[in-house]
Amino acid sequence: MPDTKTLLILIPALPLAASLLTAVLGARVLRERSHWPTVVAIALSCVASLLLIYRVHHGIDERAAAGEKGRDGAARLVSGGPARQHGAEGESEAAEPEPKVDYEHVVSIWTWAVVDDAYELENDDPSAAVDARTSEMRSFSISVTLRADPLTAIMLGMVTFISMLIAVYSIGYMHHDPGYWRFFSYIPLFVFSMTMLVSVSNFVLLYVFWEAVGFCSYILIGFWYHKPEAAAAGKKAFLVNRVGDFGFALGLFLLWTAFGTLDFHDVKLARDADTGRAVVLHDTELVTDAAQPGQVSAGVLGRERIDRQGEWLAQHGPKATGGPYHHGTLLAMAICLLLMLGACGKSAQFPLHVWLPDAMEGPTPVSALIHAATMVTAGVYMVARCMPLFLASTTAQFVVAVIGGFTALLAALIAMTQTDLKRILAYSTISQLGYMFLGLGAATLLGVTAGMFHLFTHAFFKALLFLGAGSVMHAMAGVIDVRRFGGLRRVMPATHWTFLFGCLALAGIFPFAGFWSKDLILEAIHEQAGGGAGALMYQALYWAAVATAGLTAFYTFRAYFLTFWGKEMIPEEAGDHAHESPRVMTLPLMILALCALGVGAFFELTHGFARFLGHTPSAVYHAGLAPAAEHGEALDLTIPLTGTAVAVGGILMAALLYLGPREKLVGGLTAVMTRLGLYRVSHRKFYFDEIYYGFVVGPLKVLAWLSYAVDRFVIDGLVNVCGMVPKAFGATLRPLQNGMIQFYALAMILGLLVLMGALLPFFN
Amino acid sequence: MNPEAALLNNYLIVGAMLFGIGMIGFLSRRNMIVMFLAAEMMLQGVSLTLVAFARFHNDYGGQMLVVFVIAVAACEAAIALALVLMLVRRSGKLDVAVWHALREADQPAFAEEEPPEEPAEPQEPSPQLTQAGLTPEIPREETEYRPRV
Amino acid sequence: MTGPQATLILATALGAVGMWQLLPRAGARGKLLGAACLAVALGLWASRMPLLADWVQSGLFFILAGVTIVAAVATVTMRNPVYCAIWFGMTLLGTAGLLLLAGAEFLAVATIVVYAGAILVTFLFVLMLAQTEGRAWYDRSAWEALVSAVAGIVIVGLLSVTTSGVLLAKGDKAAERAAAKRVAAERAAAERAAAIAAEGKGDRPAAERVLAAERVLAELRKAAERAAAIAAAAEGKGDRQADDGVLAEHHVARFGAELFGRHLIAIEVAGTLLLAALVGAAAIVSQTRDGRTSGEDSP
Repeated sequence: MPDTKTLLILIPALPLAASLLTAVLGARVLRERSHWPTVVAIALSCVASLLLIYRVHHGIDERAAAGEKGRDGAARLVSGGPARQHGAEGESEAAEPEPKVDYEHVVSIWTWAVVDDAYELENDDPSAAVDARTSEMRSFSISVTLRADPLTAIMLGMVTFISMLIAVYSIGYMHHDPGYWRFFSYIPLFVFSMTMLVSVSNFVLLYVFWEAVGFCSYILIGFWYHKPEAAAAGKKAFLVNRVGDFGFALGLFLLWTAFGTLDFHDVKLARDADTGRAVVLHDTELVTDAAQPGQVSAGVLGRERIDRQGEWLAQHGPKATGGPYHHGTLLAMAICLLLMLGACGKSAQFPLHVWLPDAMEGPTPVSALIHAATMVTAGVYMVARCMPLFLASTTAQFVVAVIGGFTALLAALIAMTQTDLKRILAYSTISQLGYMFLGLGAATLLGVTAGMFHLFTHAFFKALLFLGAGSVMHAMAGVIDVRRFGGLRRVMPATHWTFLFGCLALAGIFPFAGFWSKDLILEAIHEQAGGGAGALMYQALYWAAVATAGLTAFYTFRAYFLTFWGKEMIPEEAGDHAHESPRVMTLPLMILALCALGVGAFFELTHGFARFLGHTPSAVYHAGLAPAAEHGEALDLTIPLTGTAVAVGGILMAALLYLGPREKLVGGLTAVMTRLGLYRVSHRKFYFDEIYYGFVVGPLKVLAWLSYAVDRFVIDGLVNVCGMVPKAFGATLRPLQNGMIQFYALAMILGLLVLMGALLPFFN
Repeated sequence: MNPEAALLNNYLIVGAMLFGIGMIGFLSRRNMIVMFLAAEMMLQGVSLTLVAFARFHNDYGGQMLVVFVIAVAACEAAIALALVLMLVRRSGKLDVAVWHALREADQPAFAEEEPPEEPAEPQEPSPQLTQAGLTPEIPREETEYRPRV
Repeated sequence: MTGPQATLILATALGAVGMWQLLPRAGARGKLLGAACLAVALGLWASRMPLLADWVQSGLFFILAGVTIVAAVATVTMRNPVYCAIWFGMTLLGTAGLLLLAGAEFLAVATIVVYAGAILVTFLFVLMLAQTEGRAWYDRSAWEALVSAVAGIVIVGLLSVTTSGVLLAKGDKAAERAAAKRVAAERAAAERAAAIAAEGKGDRPAAERVLAAERVLAELRKAAERAAAIAAAAEGKGDRQADDGVLAEHHVARFGAELFGRHLIAIEVAGTLLLAALVGAAAIVSQTRDGRTSGEDSP
């Protein structure tokens, strides 16, 4: 079995190779067979990811067996910490859980750039030199470094698995498209970017691949580039992401100035024998072990800083802010808020959520892959990865939670009145991403676990829903307006049943996947609402999350009933198309449906997910409440019951309105809502696009016009004036040539006079 | 001032005056012949200057130069008058102001104000040469009876 | 402003006004005023010109100069071009006289012969060939009379200022230089004498010493003469006729020797130039009115 380094390299490299191969050979050689490199590569990547998960798990076991632990600080950390805990500290101290083991394996492939003497360490920096007489100048190196730890392994497994299924599905969906080979060149390029994004171990490369997935999203949304709406949607996605990326970049700059390094991991130092200065080791397979101080260049999220912070907190008390981890609360808050801005852009949270519904102009597999399962989860991944940073600032945590909750509710309200099936699912994605951020905003181990778990399960059932919608669209020859088709459950049974599974998972009904993850999030929020800082706000967020769960169920089943139940209605464009999709499309649907059914229960009841994730180095830092069941307490069923109740209520409401011929009821309700003004507000997406157009695009257009005017009149005017100067000069001199001989002679004489007059003083 | 220097000074001034007057004539007269006369006068002024310097420095070099000035003046006169004749044939006039075609395209031509009506003065015809080789017509009285010897 | 300068500026101004008035301008009558101004200007100028060696020379010079200038002005300002030519002949006579006074006898006669006799006559021929009937308008209107007059007279003024300034200064400086040269020459002679005398000292027979002393005396005398000659030359005194200079006897012979001696090649080239001019003039004139060479058969 190949070793970790090979696996880490193979997982992104195979899709990249497939992309290049298809790009080169697809048009002429491969043509209809263009899917083979992609499918094979992504399948192999998926296998490699599973092997990597096994390797990481094995590594953790080895470590635990060998008795390695984090330093004592980490052990103490587990029981006390800066997070808000309800219950007295005494209770946790008495519990004395075993020290947590963390595992990371960092591999450096290639050094991209090195700037020597780039940063001078302060003396209290975790990796400052023992000998304070010499100044420690660190170099700034950007190296392509990949890491294998539980968080990365989970993400890689999920991404490659779903990509594989979607690639297979696309064989059927894009079958007659003239850009077939182009599609199968873009998809593995995206998979490469995404896998690299979750595997890299420094912020610079994270940013690079952040942009790369944004670019892949742009080219895939605008895949049918001759359609102006698709091109515009691609541009909109890219530009809105850009706003977020700008914040991300600013956050990176602040990180650099604060920490002096942009690596996640700690890097071993060697002492230069001659000068005694520290030299960072590059291009080696680095397994960071705990080392003596001064022998390690501490990464931003590395063990060194985490352990030191833990020690400091143990001394100063769990609620203290400050310490060697960050360099001032304000700075930490600024960094976190800027990173959050980047995450908002990528994960379509308020206020940068406007691009995701328009991104549905792309092909449906693209929507399933990028805008449901993978790219939009990059923001969640990033925040989860940077949790230690967020723990330094409670304001940032509040902001994350509030943004998540608000977006979840907002998107749910908008989805209730949409008529485009894919757009309903898009707003649903936005809402569920809001849930994930809500979980992360709780800033406890439970919260992080909940957010990541919801990401994990959501990928499966949202991809399923999108692929199902794609199947419907494929059968309806491109029509996706739910008002134009109906009663398709007899026409497309496989799609119907898989779609139903997805809807049940999304609504959060036991035992489908969504139930478990949503439940965890509600628990995490509820825990924070119990006491501690900001309890009131978390309380409000809890109720908002509950309400959103109900709304989610409602609009999901509204879509389901409108599509698959009721009178059988086939639009004219469909014609004889209206039949079940081919096996190559329904097989992934069925696999995903099984996952939607079982994956939640499997990972939650075994606590495998939580335990596995808990071994990530940055997660060791958290004050650990494992999920409630782990503590052996009696099952507290309040929250699951609340969740299920609102979900069932939502389903019933949808059934009441949309199952069966209830036009009068629906019409009446709609009229009331319209009279109240609520319907239109929801239907018009809360006028966000109009507001942005008025406040952002409008002034920019004015600015653009001003720039054009300056360029045309001022700058070009200057150039024209420069051109006119010789002309004017010539026009002034031209009358000297009037053809009169005596004039020429006179001119000569006058010149002679001037010369004589000038030379006269020299004679006297 | 010693006499030689005084002589030189005076000659130089007179030469300068001749030169200046010739220049005035060249610049202002429109008759081509008179223009060339003025040019010749400028050369005279130069000759005076050269000879004065020759006298002052006791050196024949100045006078040599004057010889060549005379020679060149003769050549110049020959060519110039030939050209003047060609120009007169083309335009019918001895006016130099008619030849203004070599000007910039957008410059106006030399426009002359209308000459006022001249009262018809009794013109004496300019002396004309008789055609060469022909016997002039002399009144018979002149050939036979001369009132005086 | 010093006196001479004020005189000069006044003379320049009056001369310019005079010339301007005298020039043939369309429909303007100012000849009398012009003549008066010009006369005054000439008088002022003449007052600045120093007298020459003796009154004969001075008188001759001023008369000839006056005639020349007046004739020159007349040449330029006459309305009838034939009159201009005649006055030009007068100018040539005056110039010839001035050349004679300056010691250029051959040139004076050459001027008369070549200029007045050949060039002027050629001008008259062409005038008669080309002159239209009646008085032409262009003869009676000058082009830019004022500017030309001002330019010309200002040039004359500048030149005369330069000349006087230089020669005056040069005269003073020349005297100084002459004195300095004499002193230097005498010192050099004394040094040489001392050297010979020193050489003469020592163990030498008496005859040699006498010879040496005589040599010393001869050297001293020559040196003195040379110094005196240099001083005299610098001061402009001395008998010019005595040396080989311009005023020596057999002027024309010397003139010819100089011309065909040192400037032989130039003479030959000048002759060739005359030939070329002759051929060129003939070639130019032989074209007929419509540009064809005369002699060809007309179609």
